[in-house]
Amino acid sequence: MAKGENYSVVGQRVTRVEGYDKVTGEARYVADLHLPGMLFGKILRSPFPHARILNIDTSKAEKVRGVKAVVTAEDTIKRQWGAFFADQYPLSVGKVRYVGEEVAAVAAIDPDTAEDALHLIEVDYEELPAVFDAEQAMQEGAPLIHDNKPRNIAMTIDVERGDIQRAFADSDVIVEDTFESIPQWHCAIETIGSVAEYAPSGKYTIYMNTQTLFMARYRVAAALGVRETDVRVIQSAVGGGFGGKSCDDNNAIVAAILARKTRKPVKVINTREDEFLAGSRPRVNMKIWVRMGFKKDGRIRAKQLRIIADNGAYSGKAPAITGVAALRHDTCYKYSDVKTQAYLVYTNKIPTGAFRGFGNPSAEWAVEQAIDMGANELGIDPLQIARMNAAGPGYVSPHGNRVTSCELGQCIDMVEKMMDWKTKRAGKKPDTGLGLACTVHVSGKRHFGDYDGGSATIKINEDGKALILCGEGEVGQGAATAMCQIAAEELGVPIGDVEISQADTDLTTFCLGAFGSRVTYVGGNAVRDAAAKAKQQILETASEMLEARPDDLVVEHGKVYVKGAEAKAVSVADVARARLFRRGGAPVVASGSFDADSVLQDETRYGNESGAYNFGCQAAEVEVDTETGQVKVLKYVATSDCGTVINPIGAEGQVEGSLAQGLGYALIEGLRMEEGRPINPNFSDYRLPSMRDMPDLEHAFAASYEPTGPFGAKGLGELGMDPTAAVISNAIFDAVGVRIKTLPITPEKVLKALREREK
Amino acid sequence: MKRHQALNVNGEEYDIEIEPNRLLLHALRDDIGLTGTKEGCSIGVCGACSVIVGGRLVSSCLTLAVACQGKEITTIEGLAKDGKLHPLQQAFLEYGGFQCGICTPGQIIAAKALLDSNPHPTEEEIKEWMSGNLCRCTGYYKIFESIMAVVQNKVRAEDLTARERREARIQSLGVYKSSS
Ligand code: FES
Ligand code: FES
Repeated sequence: MAKGENYSVVGQRVTRVEGYDKVTGEARYVADLHLPGMLFGKILRSPFPHARILNIDTSKAEKVRGVKAVVTAEDTIKRQWGAFFADQYPLSVGKVRYVGEEVAAVAAIDPDTAEDALHLIEVDYEELPAVFDAEQAMQEGAPLIHDNKPRNIAMTIDVERGDIQRAFADSDVIVEDTFESIPQWHCAIETIGSVAEYAPSGKYTIYMNTQTLFMARYRVAAALGVRETDVRVIQSAVGGGFGGKSCDDNNAIVAAILARKTRKPVKVINTREDEFLAGSRPRVNMKIWVRMGFKKDGRIRAKQLRIIADNGAYSGKAPAITGVAALRHDTCYKYSDVKTQAYLVYTNKIPTGAFRGFGNPSAEWAVEQAIDMGANELGIDPLQIARMNAAGPGYVSPHGNRVTSCELGQCIDMVEKMMDWKTKRAGKKPDTGLGLACTVHVSGKRHFGDYDGGSATIKINEDGKALILCGEGEVGQGAATAMCQIAAEELGVPIGDVEISQADTDLTTFCLGAFGSRVTYVGGNAVRDAAAKAKQQILETASEMLEARPDDLVVEHGKVYVKGAEAKAVSVADVARARLFRRGGAPVVASGSFDADSVLQDETRYGNESGAYNFGCQAAEVEVDTETGQVKVLKYVATSDCGTVINPIGAEGQVEGSLAQGLGYALIEGLRMEEGRPINPNFSDYRLPSMRDMPDLEHAFAASYEPTGPFGAKGLGELGMDPTAAVISNAIFDAVGVRIKTLPITPEKVLKALREREK
Repeated sequence: MKRHQALNVNGEEYDIEIEPNRLLLHALRDDIGLTGTKEGCSIGVCGACSVIVGGRLVSSCLTLAVACQGKEITTIEGLAKDGKLHPLQQAFLEYGGFQCGICTPGQIIAAKALLDSNPHPTEEEIKEWMSGNLCRCTGYYKIFESIMAVVQNKVRAEDLTARERREARIQSLGVYKSSS
């Protein structure tokens, strides 16, 4: 059971540290920044999905009054960059590979002038044959997108554990089918943007709404061909990330190039159209063929996947995402024999990338439906199948993922109770049905080299207030508040006595940033370590002041005293001053760090992705209108095992927000594309769920404690998004007996399936 | 041609020089410097740019600044008085009605417009009205709860100033227990 009951700050409904600024409109987002002499940058994008650039004439644009610079690849070092494969340029060199690619850019005294000048840049293109379908792109003779990638294959995975043939031969029931997902855009209400400055000494300062500061610094420096410390990245308030602001796009790099050329601060804020075309890299769409074998009693015996992942024109994080889709789910259930083949394929489309769930939502869309099909064939309640196969503490996946804490079983039990599963199943009403799915996610991921760590510094100010210096940053999810709670708990000071700095690569130590549900777990552990070390210093000095042994002291509510002698307490502020203001004095300051006990995957993809795994089970009750095909979610239940809940407001918010994105993914989101060109890249064509679309939701957190986490906590941010689409599809099948295999599940598709069934 | 324009925002007169096609959104943000009003979609869909003009809720990304001559404009910056939060702001803070905060000024302004004209809306009325304000972070549940808290008078009476609020961030709601 949770060991968190005695915590004083951890587990409390603490309001946001930056909350006051956000509810009053005072929080400074990157678009709100204005520097003296600042110019505005706009980017000219390719209108063609695949074309050679024969010539660019910028002379007319340069003559426009108010234009201060026009840049093309000639103003760059023409070096490719990218998270895993260096395959994209800041500004196109030689050819363009998707509609929206950055070809040139303008800096001018105001955005309208810059926009006008864009139209005067003359680019001669020679159109090339293009390919938009990943399977076609893999064929011999398909147009080649990158010269060094034969058959347009960016990466392949081919892994078999156990003996898949024997396992299928040994199965009593085998199901197989193909499921297709869609590219989903993050649609953070704030688009990507940067304000870049260049000092003639050679240093760039970039205010960015990135969720991964140090990775941004690394990539921007690589693209500009400078040292990492020649780039200082300062995080502004971030208006939503969800993976889309992890610096796989060129926005900040173009701003930096313009700033260097003009020697003026330059602001480049994506329009909504920019954002759809070349901003946040949408979810990798995948076509997944799945085959699963079961024993008569419902045990999973074999699983085989073949994944074709549509990478788009450049790779970003798609290689890692495809890896997750291929292997991660094998940590959710007790698997023995599995085989996965995956191909990541270039096409002349918008590059794809990291989006909350990171490959998991696509894989679970397929696998959790296959399990539901198996349950149906076996005539066993899918909830029983989930329970019977669920991973537990100590489970090691076929690929080496080592599960420490795991309360998946408890999550399934809670879903059963909260959904009133048995009663509803027994009394099934026409056109109404129940569906469920389970999920697993990581708490940090060892894949950027052999490092899965974080660090932080805490200093105690002379007034007793603690300041956390941490580079993980805040993207809106509440990381800063969780960090403050962790520090307050460890230090023994009130939450009001803890502050956290803005993340800034020049002032905070290296952190990987917000991805892989890692910040609370990895960053939180680092903060806790720093706090413990700072507390050691406090105890040391206080022991001199109180003439007692450090071991006999307690720090509580900002006071230090000898156990049982609270009346003779000194304050943390007294101690900080006493330590500093004396001959040879020193501030109370300490750095802490943490590196998860994970193992980098070897060339066969065997390893241990993360230090801890988070689990969840979700269920939906839906009603299908057989006249219109409309699906109505009557009730939704989400349970999560994220270890100790550091802040219930934040944790609930993560689950609720995930559900909205999951339902959007399942039912409504997507852009109409023609020849790699989005027809209407805006919010009227790309519909997002609104308040009236949200169903009744009940959620709960398992009583759980992760021994390696800060106060028992592990990750949560992505978990809720992963299984939702499959949950809805399984419920529709239970309701009306048709299975939708491509996303999104539109009323038209449901109607069509119903009609076909009647035939 | 730029011309002189007076705008009354949050009870203050501002004199600015703008083109006749200047959008209210940009006049507020760039000419006056009130950046609390946000731009999300630029086409009147997301509600991030919501402001109240002459008592009506408008999308400032679709409204010309010149059309607001002589009307009272209320933006998010006009809600807190002397450091004391408006009950809606307080409710959003306490009930977690925001995460990244980019949609929040628009959400709070839209909710204010609703409650100004209808102080006791039904749940359905809230959901319908607020569906013009998109949020990609919260899933809307806590926005709804925040507004309901104001409707039901549940927001704590003692208006805390910014400083007091910072010092007393823990609500008296107790330690979280899982529902199992
Ligand atoms: S920016 Fe005005 S409605 Fe979206
Ligand atoms: S709080 Fe982030 S969009 Fe609403």
